[in-house]
Amino acid sequence: MSDRVVGGYTIDVDLLYDGERHVWLLILGEGRARVGMDPLGVETMGDVVQMYLQEPGVALNRGAAFGTIEAAKFVGPLTMPVSGTILTNNQAVASDPGLLTRDPFGEGWLIEIEPSDPAEFDLLVRGEEQVVEWFESKVRDYGAKGMLAE
Amino acid sequence: MIEHWRLLQHDGAEAARGLAVDEALMSGYGRGSTSMPAPSLRLYTYATHCALVGRYQNVEAEVDLAACERTGTQVGRRPTGGGAIIMGESQLGVAFVSRAPAERPKDLIKTYAKGIVRGLAELGIEATFRGKNDLEVGGRKIAGLGLYLDEHGALLFHSSILADLDIEFMLEVLRIPAAKLGDKAIDAVSDRVTTVTRETGVSYSATELRSVIAVGFEKEFGVSLFSVDLTDTETKRADVLERTRYSDPGWVFQRSPSPDRQGTAAFKTPEGFVRVHIALENGVIKSVLFTGDFNELPEALVRAESALRWVRLDPERVSAIVETALGGDEVLQISSEKIVQAVLEAGERASTRDLAHPDRQGSCYFPEVG
Repeated sequence: MSDRVVGGYTIDVDLLYDGERHVWLLILGEGRARVGMDPLGVETMGDVVQMYLQEPGVALNRGAAFGTIEAAKFVGPLTMPVSGTILTNNQAVASDPGLLTRDPFGEGWLIEIEPSDPAEFDLLVRGEEQVVEWFESKVRDYGAKGMLAE
Repeated sequence: MIEHWRLLQHDGAEAARGLAVDEALMSGYGRGSTSMPAPSLRLYTYATHCALVGRYQNVEAEVDLAACERTGTQVGRRPTGGGAIIMGESQLGVAFVSRAPAERPKDLIKTYAKGIVRGLAELGIEATFRGKNDLEVGGRKIAGLGLYLDEHGALLFHSSILADLDIEFMLEVLRIPAAKLGDKAIDAVSDRVTTVTRETGVSYSATELRSVIAVGFEKEFGVSLFSVDLTDTETKRADVLERTRYSDPGWVFQRSPSPDRQGTAAFKTPEGFVRVHIALENGVIKSVLFTGDFNELPEALVRAESALRWVRLDPERVSAIVETALGGDEVLQISSEKIVQAVLEAGERASTRDLAHPDRQGSCYFPEVG
């Protein structure tokens, strides 16, 4: 794990990121990967009060919802960064969504999956330089739109 | 060239049908759609009456099912969040559906609420956005707002505008513990909720309000609305959703993964005791209510109630929000610190309390008192 502070946020630059949905992917090896949400995604949603995560065994395509969240009356999907089958979900974060804010790369992880198409990894933002550049641009963009903490 | 949006008008929708149609409209706006229709605005009413709970609420906690049976009230679950509401001929349902712009959800709610604000302005009602998802007039809620984004990138903005409201009926059907508030229950709701009828002094039904809200959307967004019916595809999609989701007891009666917890704390003022009631969900304040012996609920406390909703129970944030809401006023001749302390104490009690009453959550308008 390599943490760097980018635009005021601590992020792990070793992970792969879905550039639009702010979902990260950690390849654990042996056909297993962990999925979570990055701090920018968490911040733009607001305080999450409820979270539902799909059960293990469900196979989903990239972009399909593996769960839903409720934050301040907004209900929205949590979407797969790559296609795969859910192996386990994090009950700790489902019962305490505050973990998303407190530890987005650690205890706040969401699900673990068996990716079905490793070629999809190439669709994600990866590599320290690219991750930093992408994240900085998002922070700038969201800041300009007034989407970050008031 | 002026943009045209679709306008759909329905009346007396059954609970499951009304909700199914809203979601069916979304199917045309996903990223996979090859020909995206113009945005859709649906202005409609439900059959009198329907009790609709929020996405993650427990039905048994929110509505008195025996009272629903007795009064013929249908029960449904919305895809959007928030609290339980009563819908019928006196409440106008608003559903705006389009492709979701890349904006923060809370900003999207504010954006589309402007159509309603503009419409109400046509009647001389000055509504303002309050907290994260309410429209208020003079400190009283007149419309609730909600947002649902699906995985395909479509957006559903929901609102319920109170043309009128039978508070007594609401207290009967929604599980508001009137027994604990006794004869103060109606007054307490009246202090916090208003209607178009009350604000204008003219009796309004939701259907009478519809054209006004349509004009509000046209003026606010500079578009022209044209009336349409559901397409065959939308109708078929609504049929499926009605059958497989919104009429399915598995959807309507699903259990929330994490129910609310309630806590209270009291503080003394020169004017008597004030009690703060809090409903906490996963560490986030879902509702706050101040009750006491005051003749009139101080406006600053109403502001604080609203501002504290959907905020994590964090001492610094609670303190800052209460300070701002009070605006330097000394409410009931006591310091803001005392109010902050009581809010935190009630929250702490809620968070550590065993789920002795795990099913009680309180309504959109009014949290549990206990």
